[in-house]
Amino acid sequence: MFPNLDPLLHSELRLAVMSLLMSADEAEFPYIKEQTGATAGNLSVQIEKLSTAGYIEVEKTFKGKKPCTICRVTPTGLKAFENYVKTLKNYLEVGKK
Amino acid sequence: MEENKNLTAERSLEIIRESIERSQRTITKNSSWSMMWWGMLVVVFSLLTAFLWKNYGGPVWNFLWAAMWVIGYVGEWVIERYKDPVPTTFVSKTIGYVWSTFGIFVGSVSLILGLIGGGILSWELIMPNVFIFGGITSIICLCFGIATTITGAVVKNRVIQICGLVAGLGGFFGALHYPDHRQLFVMAAVGVVGLVVPGLIIRVQNQK
Repeated sequence: MFPNLDPLLHSELRLAVMSLLMSADEAEFPYIKEQTGATAGNLSVQIEKLSTAGYIEVEKTFKGKKPCTICRVTPTGLKAFENYVKTLKNYLEVGKK
Repeated sequence: MEENKNLTAERSLEIIRESIERSQRTITKNSSWSMMWWGMLVVVFSLLTAFLWKNYGGPVWNFLWAAMWVIGYVGEWVIERYKDPVPTTFVSKTIGYVWSTFGIFVGSVSLILGLIGGGILSWELIMPNVFIFGGITSIICLCFGIATTITGAVVKNRVIQICGLVAGLGGFFGALHYPDHRQLFVMAAVGVVGLVVPGLIIRVQNQK
């Protein structure tokens, strides 16, 4: 339907995750889960896809004794997101004409 | 939120907007606890100090403000532990910069005036005629310094932050020290240290 849109970002959950991370320096897994309303399993899969593409960086650490997963956008992810929004705007402008 | 292959352009933009707005709301809600906590402390300590000042021994009770800072920071530590964890954003960082800068300036002015009031420093050091000439120049210089320090924090430049502190506190006490036309020389110096120098620094940095 939208051939020029980045297929990796053109998914509801991955797009929501990227949007959240765009407005934050970094975010923990439970926060992203709460904000997106996704299940832990689905979210893990989508985060893995974004991480493999180099769009986000995933850091696994500990908070006290609890494991803690922190995600942050990489410069590649930032560029991809900017391009995605630019392409979306173009589609919308074409649609209006 | 599940995979949706038929995602429209409008829906995509809506997801972006909703995600950013929801995150922003959570962060804003979280900052309300600190504001209410410090606001209540200011109300309680203002009324308590006024009562004690009027009835039991005069302005010496202003030293209670130091206790407010201690109680305030202990409470802030407790609030941080129990409020929902949220990520750091540009907005939350800027709110932090604004209030910590305010705290540094008010704390420094209060400390110096407190030391003078307590007899540890002499009044002459700041006001040669032992006459408070708290003109508008002092207040403007202080505000100048606060604005420059916040700018330095936002653009992450330590030198600009120091310029702001020097301009603000130096200007405030300098203008108190010279209660005549010489205040304007202080103001001119504040303009150089608080605006011209930071402006040059930002310009040089952007040319690199």
